[in-house]
Amino acid sequence: MLPTLQVGPLAVQVPGLVLLIGLWLGLSLAERRAGWYQTAPANLYNLVLVGLIAGVSGARLVYVARYPAAFAASPLSLISLNPGLLDSTGGVAVALLAAMVFRQRKQMPGWPTLDALTHLMAVLAIALEVAHLASGEAFGSPTGLPWGIELWGARRHPSQIYAILAASLILGWLSLPQTQRKAGRPGVTFLAFVCFSAGARLFLEAFRGDSLLLVGGLRAAQLVSWLALALGLIGLARLQRIGEKTVHRVQS
Amino acid sequence: MRAGSSQWTLNSLGILLLGAAWIWASAVPAGSQNGRLPAPQAGFQAPDFRLPTPSGETISLADLRGQPVLINLWASWCPPCREEMPAIQRVYQDYQSRGFVVLAVNATSQDSLPSALEFVSELGLTFPILLDTDGQVSALYRLRSLPTSFFVDGKGIIREVVIGGPMSEALLRIRVEQLFELGD
Repeated sequence: MLPTLQVGPLAVQVPGLVLLIGLWLGLSLAERRAGWYQTAPANLYNLVLVGLIAGVSGARLVYVARYPAAFAASPLSLISLNPGLLDSTGGVAVALLAAMVFRQRKQMPGWPTLDALTHLMAVLAIALEVAHLASGEAFGSPTGLPWGIELWGARRHPSQIYAILAASLILGWLSLPQTQRKAGRPGVTFLAFVCFSAGARLFLEAFRGDSLLLVGGLRAAQLVSWLALALGLIGLARLQRIGEKTVHRVQS
Repeated sequence: MRAGSSQWTLNSLGILLLGAAWIWASAVPAGSQNGRLPAPQAGFQAPDFRLPTPSGETISLADLRGQPVLINLWASWCPPCREEMPAIQRVYQDYQSRGFVVLAVNATSQDSLPSALEFVSELGLTFPILLDTDGQVSALYRLRSLPTSFFVDGKGIIREVVIGGPMSEALLRIRVEQLFELGD
C-alpha cells in the first residue's frame, strides 16, 4: 500500500498518478493500433481529450447542482482540486454525450471507434486496479489461504492483484494476432472485451471484502456485471447473424 | 449456419446460468462484512484512542459515540494543514450546536508543542486540539501524509478518508451533512 509518495514538501497521490500514467500509456497504445480499425489516430486522441475535459467539468457541475447550498457558502470550492467534489455518474454521462457529439461531427464510424478505444480501456482497467492496490481500496475478504495479504486488520484475498492479473490477461488477448484479424469485423473486439471484463468482475467480486450489498447479501457489482455480460453476448450474437447474412447474400 | 447460431445461443445461456449460480453462491451472509473491525479505512470501525489536550484534559474517541466526528491529523509546519484549518473552524462553528465534533490531532512527535500552540492561537481554533506526543495515534491511523482526515459517523464507522489537502469548505460541509444523515 502506497497512497502517497513524499517528494520533498509535496505529497503526490499515487492512485491519481497511476491513473494518469495509465491514461497516457493506454491512449498511446490505442493510437498505435487505430490503424487496425481504419480509425484516424488524431481523431481518436481528440475524442478522448474532449470526453475527458467534458467529463471532469461535468462531474464538478453535476456535484454543484446536487449540493448548491454548500457551494453558495463557499464559492471558491467550485475550483477546488478535491476529487471528492466530483459526481462520477454525472461525469461519465457528460463525457459520453460530448464524445458522441464529437464522433458525429467528425463522422467517425461507431463500432470501429469503440474497437479502437478498447485498447485504452484495457490499459486503464489495469491502472485502476494498481491504483486500488496503492490506496488499499477494493480490498479482499478475509482468507486463510497462504497467498493472503495482511490488510485492514485481517489476512485477506489480494483482490487487487487478482484483478490486475485478469485485466492483464485481457490486454494480452487484445494484443494477439487473432484479435487483430477479427478487427475486420467491426464491434467484435469491443463486445468481446465487454464480455471478458464483465465475466472477470463477476467472478472476482466474490473475493472482495467491500462489496455493495443488496437484498439477500447479493453483490451489486456482480448483478451489473451479469447484465453487461448478457448484453455483450447478445451483441456478439447479433453481429454474428449479420455477418452470416452478408456471407449468404454474397454467395447467392 | 443455423446450427452455429443455436450452438452460440446454448453456450451463452450456459455461461449466463453459471454466472447466476456464482452470484447466488457468493452472496454475503448478513452482518458478516467489516463493520466491527477497527482499521483506518472507510467502512471500518475507527480505531479508538485517548489523548491529552494542551490543558491536560483527556479526550477519548469512544466517548463521542453518537456524534459525527472529524479526526484531522496535522502539524504546524505543514502548509496544506494551515490552509484548510480556517474552513474546518468555520464548519465546526456552524455545526457544533448539532453535535459535530472536530478532533484536531497534532502529530506532536513530528512537530514542536510551542509551534503547535502558536498555530492554534494564530488561527483562533476553538475545537479540541489533541497532542499525539509519542506518535501512537499517527501509527494507529497509518499516517503517511499530512494532513489526513477521517470522517466518522455516530456509530463510530469511518465513512471517508481524505489523504492530503487542503480540503475545501464545500467538501467539509457536504461530508458533515452526510454524517448527520447517517444518524447515530
